[in-house]
Amino acid sequence: MSRRLLWFLLLIVATLALAVVLIPAWVIQPFRPQSPRGLEISYALKRIASVLTIAALLGCIAMMVKLWRGARWSRIVLVLLLIPPAISAWFARQNHFEWMFNPLPNAGYVRADAASFVNDSDLVMAVTRNGEAAAYPIRQLAYHHLVQDTVGRLPIVVTY
Amino acid sequence: MWEAAVDGRTLHFHLTGINNQNFIMRDEETGSWWQQVSGEATFGPLKGRRLTPVPQDEISFALWKREQPNGRVLRPDPRAEAAHHYAPADWEAGIARLPVATRIGDKRLGLRELIVGITVNGRDKAYRMADVKQQTPIIDTVGGLPIAIVAASDGNSVRAFSRVVDGKPVDLFAKAESNDLLDSTTGSEWDFSGRAIRGPLAGRLLTRIPTLRDYWFDWRTYHPDTAIFRAGLPRS
Repeated sequence: MSRRLLWFLLLIVATLALAVVLIPAWVIQPFRPQSPRGLEISYALKRIASVLTIAALLGCIAMMVKLWRGARWSRIVLVLLLIPPAISAWFARQNHFEWMFNPLPNAGYVRADAASFVNDSDLVMAVTRNGEAAAYPIRQLAYHHLVQDTVGRLPIVVTY
Repeated sequence: MWEAAVDGRTLHFHLTGINNQNFIMRDEETGSWWQQVSGEATFGPLKGRRLTPVPQDEISFALWKREQPNGRVLRPDPRAEAAHHYAPADWEAGIARLPVATRIGDKRLGLRELIVGITVNGRDKAYRMADVKQQTPIIDTVGGLPIAIVAASDGNSVRAFSRVVDGKPVDLFAKAESNDLLDSTTGSEWDFSGRAIRGPLAGRLLTRIPTLRDYWFDWRTYHPDTAIFRAGLPRS
């Protein structure tokens, strides 16, 4: 394969690796309308992103090795071209929604009479199951959005 | 609020995206995507499955504490609290000013008008919070079932009930200066939990109907055929 073609291929793969993670992040922005087709594409891309971005990164490294013998400036460009696939491979392993919307992995609870942090007029989301009652203050849910719990032996997900 | 188990396996959910201002959750176990508002898996191995809704309440803390003195309450995350990340008590006023990007093309109500939505026998109906507060109890029939929408005196706690007792509908009226209701059919008194506390039906329970307190645009997006309660119509 000619060096020229290899350079071209490297550029394409680096761009595609970035597109695989950027397209879904772009489509599922908050405060933006989503279409069913856009969501379908996002789901498909997110599903393959972790494997695809690693493959792209390895591919880029392999091409970089092949192209290494060259002028100094071309080596600088090669290293720079490695940045997008490296970022993609890392980003594909992140849940940036959990950066924006703050999960609560270790939810704790207090007795109703000890809950001094809730005002009487505050709304709570409440559930009772097999004699066990739990309340989730809306102001906390509005920040965490999702709380996983087990109430009266029933595993539940509280969403807001 | 949903049951987290599907086919006997407990799923663990994470927020993974947004579909028209409603969260998409992803479960760790299968990687399927679930729409928060409908509980339906829209993509992935469990596509088409639905989570089972958990009967829930959205009421004031004072009311809940009175009914469930032995209950437990979600504790604030110390770090989020220290950083003042939790919304102030008047947070709803702030939310009301957030933009709405969802296109619904239905101008019957304001996009961020607060409503209480119910679904009975496949029929969806929305009640403006303002109407519920003013008219409580709202007496209506949805999907063929006689129902009542009831607001507590705090003006924020709302519940819905089937008002069928022993196969017959009862007609409910607010009792002055309390959360209690009177039924003109038997003269019994009912409290906000739906229990008859006095009268011939004392001890009986009205069947609860799940309610969703929501913004009009969100309810309308996921319940496109919803009816809207028209306030001020005479009881039929």
